[in-house]
Amino acid sequence: MSQPEGKGGAALEVRFVPDEDVLKHIADDAGIKVRKDKTQLTVTVKKFVKTLENISDDEAQEILEEKSYVAVLGICAQGIGKEEFTTAVTSGYSSPDTHLESESEYSASCSEEEEEEEEQKEANTVVSGRKTPAKTKAASTPPSQKTLSKKMKDDKMSNLVEEYFEAHSSSKVLTSDRTLQKLHKRRLNQETLRDLLKKAPLAFAPEIKELNQQHECLFSKWMLQLHLGFNIVLYGLGSKRDLLEKFRTSVLQDSVHLVVNGYFPSITVRSILNSITEEVLEHIGTFRSPLDQLEFIMKRFKEDSSLELYVLIHNLDSQMLRGERSQQILAQLSSLPSIYLIASVDHINAPLMWDQAKQSLYNWLWYETTTFSPYVEETSYENSLLVQQSGSLALSSLTHVLRSLTPNARGIFRLLAQYQLENKDNPSYPGLSFQDFYQQCREAFLVNSDLTLRAQLTEFRDHKLIRTKRGADGVEYLLIPVDDSTLTDFLEKEDEDV
Amino acid sequence: MSTCSVSKGCFVFKPSPKKRRVSPKTAEYFKEANNDSEDSGLRFATCQSLWKQIKSETEQVQEELNKQLFDNLVSFLRRSHSEFQEKTTEWTCRMKSREIPTAALVLGVNVTDHDLTFKSLSEVLQNNITPYVALLQAKDCPGIKNLMQKLMGQLMNCCIDVDSSDEEDYVQVSQHRIRCSMTSLISWYENITKKTDSETPSKKRISRHLQSPPVVVIFKDMESFTTKVLQDFIGISSLLPHSVSSLLCIELFQSLSCKEHLSTIIDKLLLTTQFAFKLSEKVLQVLINIFLYHDFSVQNFIKGFQLCIVEHFHSQPLSVLCCQLVEAKKRVNSLSHSQCENIRRLPSFRRYVESQVSEKQIALLTADNFLKEVIQKLLEDLHVYHENYVPVLRCLHVFTSSLPKYPLGKQIRELHCACLENRVWETEEYESSLQLARMLNKSDLVTMLQKCVEIFVSSSGKEFDKVVEKLKEFLAQFQKLEAGACQERGESVSSQKELQKKTDLYHLQKTLLELKESRRSKKLTKFEMLRFEVVDFIDNLVRNYLVPADHKTLHEIMYFNTASALREHLNAAPRIALHTALNNPYCYLKNQALKSDGGSISNKAPDICIVYKLHLECGRLINLVDWLEAFSTVVMAVEGTNEDAAASDQVDDIIHARFIQAVSELELLGFIKPSKQKTDHVARLTWGGC
Repeated sequence: MSQPEGKGGAALEVRFVPDEDVLKHIADDAGIKVRKDKTQLTVTVKKFVKTLENISDDEAQEILEEKSYVAVLGICAQGIGKEEFTTAVTSGYSSPDTHLESESEYSASCSEEEEEEEEQKEANTVVSGRKTPAKTKAASTPPSQKTLSKKMKDDKMSNLVEEYFEAHSSSKVLTSDRTLQKLHKRRLNQETLRDLLKKAPLAFAPEIKELNQQHECLFSKWMLQLHLGFNIVLYGLGSKRDLLEKFRTSVLQDSVHLVVNGYFPSITVRSILNSITEEVLEHIGTFRSPLDQLEFIMKRFKEDSSLELYVLIHNLDSQMLRGERSQQILAQLSSLPSIYLIASVDHINAPLMWDQAKQSLYNWLWYETTTFSPYVEETSYENSLLVQQSGSLALSSLTHVLRSLTPNARGIFRLLAQYQLENKDNPSYPGLSFQDFYQQCREAFLVNSDLTLRAQLTEFRDHKLIRTKRGADGVEYLLIPVDDSTLTDFLEKEDEDV
Repeated sequence: MSTCSVSKGCFVFKPSPKKRRVSPKTAEYFKEANNDSEDSGLRFATCQSLWKQIKSETEQVQEELNKQLFDNLVSFLRRSHSEFQEKTTEWTCRMKSREIPTAALVLGVNVTDHDLTFKSLSEVLQNNITPYVALLQAKDCPGIKNLMQKLMGQLMNCCIDVDSSDEEDYVQVSQHRIRCSMTSLISWYENITKKTDSETPSKKRISRHLQSPPVVVIFKDMESFTTKVLQDFIGISSLLPHSVSSLLCIELFQSLSCKEHLSTIIDKLLLTTQFAFKLSEKVLQVLINIFLYHDFSVQNFIKGFQLCIVEHFHSQPLSVLCCQLVEAKKRVNSLSHSQCENIRRLPSFRRYVESQVSEKQIALLTADNFLKEVIQKLLEDLHVYHENYVPVLRCLHVFTSSLPKYPLGKQIRELHCACLENRVWETEEYESSLQLARMLNKSDLVTMLQKCVEIFVSSSGKEFDKVVEKLKEFLAQFQKLEAGACQERGESVSSQKELQKKTDLYHLQKTLLELKESRRSKKLTKFEMLRFEVVDFIDNLVRNYLVPADHKTLHEIMYFNTASALREHLNAAPRIALHTALNNPYCYLKNQALKSDGGSISNKAPDICIVYKLHLECGRLINLVDWLEAFSTVVMAVEGTNEDAAASDQVDDIIHARFIQAVSELELLGFIKPSKQKTDHVARLTWGGC
């Protein structure tokens, strides 16, 4: 089984000498996958070999066509052909259900002459990774001039459909393999990002201001419509936070209102309901379920007609609120005649959250309020790829919790953290098994029985400091669900304290 | 207090009770929203009263439509319950008693309308059958426990309401609520029935069982209940946990289709002179389209109608005159000068002025009093127009709705739209329907004419006496024809006989040719002549009375015609708005620098637009490094300051930061998401390029 794989690997190495990084990447990727699903791999590899053997006369035609096509498109397209080939190889490993089509393409390019491949290699290094859609199309459609010219004539609609299937039919990806690390660019953290953005001048400030003023004229109309039983939803490009804040400060100053930051990462419907029952209705006591709570609120509002509440929700479509249940509860809440809801949505698919029933409960009036203001506040919690996770929040909570524990408990946590950091370069690190951990703790005189360790771990788990998961062999593994940099910071800080 | 926090997502603001506004009136917002406070109080009052009327009208319609259905349901319940009561001793019935009589109510796809239906259904049941009605919804009952809890709560509360017994009882019940089980329900039921019995001792002996009212449980949206919950519930309540569907004795009931509902609503709201407020063709089309292509919801249609009313009274200062004629005439007299100016500015009024002689023109444009007189007259004209319009429209509909292929539409609303849009008699469809009408057979024609007579007789229009007379005359003529027809038939029969007599081929051909010739040149029969006359008469009516409303002077007062506003607020397209803003920022930011010719985008555009545009050029995955590089190239080209820095691989920190911000914004908008397929790549979530 491993033999054909080895063969494939060798073949790869021969061909990809010029770009070592690519190779490494592919090999890495494939390696992991191999370990994960062995059985599936055998299947693919078998097919792979079969097609290699079966390069027969009927494919000669195809090769011929491809050649003429290559001639037409010139060097550039050849480069792409090459890359397509590389990705076809990756995908052969990564997704077991690759279509036969891509495999035959692979074999087709295999059978091409060595010279051409040499050329391709050169082209590959020259061509940058960015692909225009036209090129993508050229690469993934069966190479024939006829179909190409036909495609030009197709109307836009069918183009759109085709583009969709082209983008999703195969798992081929045509991008360069450059990474941010190569840029010699340090990753910015959240604070420096903010500082830098402050330095950058806001473009088109007067125009944006004018836009906002147009929207502000609508405030009293919104109030009118809210009072007539409608609820208002704002959409359009740009942060609507400032607009709603202005609305709040200028119109709602004298009435009871609730502001909900939907983009806040740990917002829940529960917390919204809680703030209504506890702070608005001044009710003391808890509820068994959000449904009970909702019922209580509805009852109170129906009984007391003098009660009025304005609810402003920034980003009703956020990760945390977009669930079916949350929306159901919010919709029911908004259907109360004395609760006035004004919300903003940003996601392109936001309207999909609501079925007919919810929409009629919400009774929306849509208002387009394109502001072009940057979404500074809304994206500040986002886990962007480009922003280094400072983890300052997590760090402070870690130290906070740990400080309240006994020295022994801290020692136990430290052991786990150190072990995890030692293994940070191992991508398949499953965690520390309980038995090993117990052994280590005993050696460090931190616990004297596995019961005490278990009690300690329960406490950690309750504070969400660790996570346990059971491995394939039934062994319990322990992990700290915090990223490595935060953990390093934490250990450093601990060292300072000690 | 700020609403930014890293530890909290909800902020409650409670002004001190002293400061709190004491229930601000909606009217104030109406005034505030109107910068010119021209008659706004009055306008708002008119608006509200109109809406109230319309609302009660629609509710009444709904009630009437549901009546049949509810009657059936009620009788089903009565029957099944009394059956159950009577035959408790028989063995078959014992078997049957294990079954729960069930009515399956099939409602249409218009989910949003169901709420109202159910509400009125439970009301009806409570009034006619039993006080013990529980309405359960799937969303309230994720488990059997919640279901029982809801059920008990509703049943026990309602019994309190009906019995109106003392406080003591209530407390007991609420304590009981904690233990929700079938046994407690049964004991509660027995308790209750006993109590009602003891309260009516005279009837006790005779009608003990009949007295005990059934418990009705309504499951709303049964299909969305989890099967387990339902099974459990049915199993428990019949105390027989084997095959569950056999425990239900189902009878099917079908509700009225929502399309019929809409037709009735349109009939009652639009094709009437009862309400002064009217919808223009485009607005009506928008509302109907939303109904037909989006939700089939009559409630939403009415909601749209409400929005139209509000918008109309809000945006049109002259809408103060949009009320019943008598009242409107009074209001005309008290119009201010600026309102008179408003009238003079109406396009339809200007057209009217231009058609007058010059002295009158001057008077209309200068003298307010004269103007008011004229307005009163014009309003009256408009009123008369409406009075005539509806019966003639209905009459035309009688004809067009029975033609093959319905060239002018099957529904009266389609015909209404066609008439509002432009002069209907100039359209091709009208032409072809007239042609088809000229081919109608006699019996159809007669029944149609009879229908028309009925319509005109029952209408309030004053000009229709003559029309009715004429129609009756037509009918009489048709009758006369019938008498004469026998004779005619005799003739044709004789020729037929002649045809049969000749057996010679040559002669046959000859006679056939002759027959054909005679038929072609033959004068129209009396019937055909009459038919032409009738059709011409109808055609005349249409030309006289079905003039499109926007040709009428002062139509702006009554007709709401900003369809765009309606579409924007009810049927918005957030995705298109986003795309326009990203693709062509000049639409929103009126800066010359942003002006660009089709497709391309200025490199001075906001960062997010540039990043968006660049991402459109990518496939399914996007390499962040390349993206960043492309972005900085575009942005640098604008600034063009430090060339050296641009040459090197190092990117300016600020540009880097701007890029990060723009990418996160695209992620928030849902265009991309982080991907683990390749390092430093994001995945595109939309497709299609530039």
